[in-house]
Amino acid sequence: MRWLRRLGHKPLVEKRLDSELHFHLEQQIADYIASGLSPAEARRRANLEFGSVEGFKEECREARWENQLDIFIRDFRFALRGLLKDRRFAFVSIFALALAIGASTAMFSVVDNALFEPFPYKDQKRLVVVHIRDLDKTEDYRSFFTMPEIEEIRKQNNVFEDSAGNQQDDVVQMGTDTNLRLDGNFVTPGSLDFLGVPALLGRSLADGDYQPGAPPVFVLRYKTWQGKFNSDPGAIGKTFTLNGVARTLVGVMSPRFAWGGADLWIPCSYEAAQTLTSGQFDKYWGFVARLKSGVSVNEASAEMTLIAKRLATLNPKDYPKHFDANVENFGHAVVPQQFRNSLYLFLVAVSLLLLIGCGNVANLLLARATTRQKEFAVRAALGAGRHRLIRQLLVESLLLALGGALLGVLFAWAGVRVLSTSMPDSTVASETVIEMNPPVLVFALAIGVGTIFIFGLVPALRASRCDLQDSLRDAGKGLSGTGSHARLRNSVIVLEVALSLTLLFTAGLFIRSFLALSHVPLGFGIDHVLNARLPLPPNRYKTSAQIAAFYRPLLERLKSVPGVTSAATSSSFPPDDCCPSEIEITGKAHEQKPTATVQLSSEDYFQVLRIPFIEGRTFLADEVNDARKVAVINQTFRSRYFRNENPIGQRVHLKLMETLPDPVPNAWFEIVGVVADAKNHRLENPNDPEVWFPYTVYPRPAWALLVRTVNDPAKMVEAVGKEVWATDPGVAMADPQPLERILDGSLLAQPRFGLWLVTVFSTIGLILVTIGVYSVMAYSTSRQTHEFGIRMALGAEAGDVLGMVLRKGTKLLLGGIGIGLVVSFAVARSIVAQLWGVSAYDLLTLVAVVVLLLLVGLAACWIPARRATRVDPVTALRYE
Amino acid sequence: MPSEKNDLHRGTLDMLILKVVASGPLHGYAIAQRLNQISKDYFQVPQGSLYPALHRLEEREWLDAEWKDTSTGREAKFYTLTTKGKKQLEAEVLGWERLSDAVSLILRTAD
Repeated sequence: MRWLRRLGHKPLVEKRLDSELHFHLEQQIADYIASGLSPAEARRRANLEFGSVEGFKEECREARWENQLDIFIRDFRFALRGLLKDRRFAFVSIFALALAIGASTAMFSVVDNALFEPFPYKDQKRLVVVHIRDLDKTEDYRSFFTMPEIEEIRKQNNVFEDSAGNQQDDVVQMGTDTNLRLDGNFVTPGSLDFLGVPALLGRSLADGDYQPGAPPVFVLRYKTWQGKFNSDPGAIGKTFTLNGVARTLVGVMSPRFAWGGADLWIPCSYEAAQTLTSGQFDKYWGFVARLKSGVSVNEASAEMTLIAKRLATLNPKDYPKHFDANVENFGHAVVPQQFRNSLYLFLVAVSLLLLIGCGNVANLLLARATTRQKEFAVRAALGAGRHRLIRQLLVESLLLALGGALLGVLFAWAGVRVLSTSMPDSTVASETVIEMNPPVLVFALAIGVGTIFIFGLVPALRASRCDLQDSLRDAGKGLSGTGSHARLRNSVIVLEVALSLTLLFTAGLFIRSFLALSHVPLGFGIDHVLNARLPLPPNRYKTSAQIAAFYRPLLERLKSVPGVTSAATSSSFPPDDCCPSEIEITGKAHEQKPTATVQLSSEDYFQVLRIPFIEGRTFLADEVNDARKVAVINQTFRSRYFRNENPIGQRVHLKLMETLPDPVPNAWFEIVGVVADAKNHRLENPNDPEVWFPYTVYPRPAWALLVRTVNDPAKMVEAVGKEVWATDPGVAMADPQPLERILDGSLLAQPRFGLWLVTVFSTIGLILVTIGVYSVMAYSTSRQTHEFGIRMALGAEAGDVLGMVLRKGTKLLLGGIGIGLVVSFAVARSIVAQLWGVSAYDLLTLVAVVVLLLLVGLAACWIPARRATRVDPVTALRYE
Repeated sequence: MPSEKNDLHRGTLDMLILKVVASGPLHGYAIAQRLNQISKDYFQVPQGSLYPALHRLEEREWLDAEWKDTSTGREAKFYTLTTKGKKQLEAEVLGWERLSDAVSLILRTAD
């Protein structure tokens, strides 16, 4: 602890050092006098031989540990003072670095959480799903399987360690005076153990629960338990009537468990699973498997293709003509392809941003280093050691990096909060938790801080090695900013402008695409419509007559509710109409297999959605009540299959209806009306031919309820719900929402999110580039003050100087724009799939973006240029 | 720059100091005298540069220092070699001998 003692006795240490050195000198002098020199000559020789006492004292001090600390603190204070003096520089560097770090960390966190670690499940990296792909259409055919298929897959495969199946089930929990609709999931034996997430309260499902004949139980999702069961721990062990079956709640799962996005999970044996599902629409089960360790998805795909081919020979109509099986990581599969691509695009965008930010910081540091060359030279001449200079610059870099890093973390934290709340639902798995990702943060910090150190240190190394005389003579008087620093700075700016142009162009395309999409005419009125799904308990609603016995009185009751103008039911709702069917029209032979989308509805459907009739009429009430085979077609159907003929009275054969379970015999329908086209195949695609017929013709237990209201439909939920309850207390509305909001959420939320994000990124990019251009131009004009002074003294006009500066700025900008155009086109080509209604090489966007960038860039040059014209020649010439 | 030259000498100077001090407690002036005598004034370094080296070696605990009276009755700082310093000296001498052997071998045979 010597150093500690010394730290406490600094004056003593100093005195001792002094007396040690003087002892040496005095001994030397004494020796010289003894050898016969005069005292004066002895002193002179001794001093000469010894060298600078103060210099060696300083070196001795530096040798001591505690003095190193001292020096560091001094450097730190000096650096802080220097940065405060140059506040604009410090602020801009820190801000640029923080923006870049913040934005990239936030985006990388989102992507990592959403795509790579979305689940809390055991060995989630090895969880996979199986897609049957239609090779003729290069698209997924289905990723759901029937129970017999799942059992065969489990028996025949050698690539999966284990697997689990789930099937959605609308669950209505009956209360005494109200009922609660919940999303249930039937799960196959061992599913919850397979996923490996324990229960939070009570217990998870045990092996015995899945046995046929076991007492009926279920487990609850944490969020549902909080929201709908008031976090009541007493609920565990209680019995609830779910879809008419008394089931005991045995546990609440841990907070992130949300398999299938359900509220509750019901165990189901394989035997029960076979009989559980009857209809065409819900015989398929979700299927998740865990790869054996060491098995790749490609190996699994190959084996699954073989198995699927075998299954297809037993059941050819469940498979496309040419297909294969593709095994895909579960985490990836849950995020829609389109959104996945958008996320990757944002990653690229944010990486560009990080580059621009770091480029800016590098430029600022380089500029600052150049102006300080003289300072370094003076200090080196006054005896500052090379390592002292470098250390001092490093301390300065450290301060900047620290500031940037702290602010960056703050930005990242805010960014993640904003992103996680603004991300559209249904784009990521319900289990996904978006949070700041420490490894990513470390990575971004490393890049940013690394930039500061590298670009802070390079000039320092150079300055400390440079020729003192040259620097002293030259510093501060550069001509038009030549030299390698200047070249480096200019190329950084050119690169920044290019990257910024790319970002802006991408944002522009997204804006155009979004505008085009949101202005697509729908062909139906979405305002003032309340929409809900009405799942009917399958055990009580088996036949068309039973279903009609529910809807007929319900629709009647709804029409008499004040504020409701009309009400209808249909099998699905636009613009996502379901179920293509092969058709046949009396007396017509067709070259290709004609198809049409098939919909079931009640007579007021067209009135509720404001779809106008072109010819004929809608179904009559009697036709609906008697389940008569009549049909309404849309304009696309008419023009494609009838051209100039009159379709009214013609008959159309809907083959699908004859192949379903509970088939409709002799499914020929008489056309009674033609309606105008309404979007029925999402917004992006052209309309399909469509046929509607009375809902009473075929028993399907899940229906959409559509109610047109006078005022805000959101306020009518309760009134409509009351009528549903009054009609049958065992039925409850699922997700009642204004149609407008549903469409906005399902069609526009995703593109809007993308648009918003790209716009934010490109705005940040533009800000950074503006700062970059401004700082480089301001720096280079300030270096040219001397030159401008001479020019103006020799008769140059203010306009000439202005022109000189602007020309230089324009050259940099145009260089960047040129490179940027090439990069932009390359990027645009890769995002074609995400654009709609706008070409990837859209000229308008291109011109707008280039003009914007030029204007902003020139404005950034204008300020330093104006300053240059105000130079007083006399001052400038004196100015060094 | 002059400091680069010092860098080159630093290791050698350290070794020489350790060697000189190995013979018994000495103060700075005596060490300087001894170095000059033995090397016959071969090293033309400012005498003051000895002191940063001494302080550095003390900081590394290769030397121990103590204030004692000299034979003339004045107080001076005496340096002694520590066990750690002895080991360091042995290592450096060994390294130096190897290097000089190798260099002289090349000088003798490279013709």
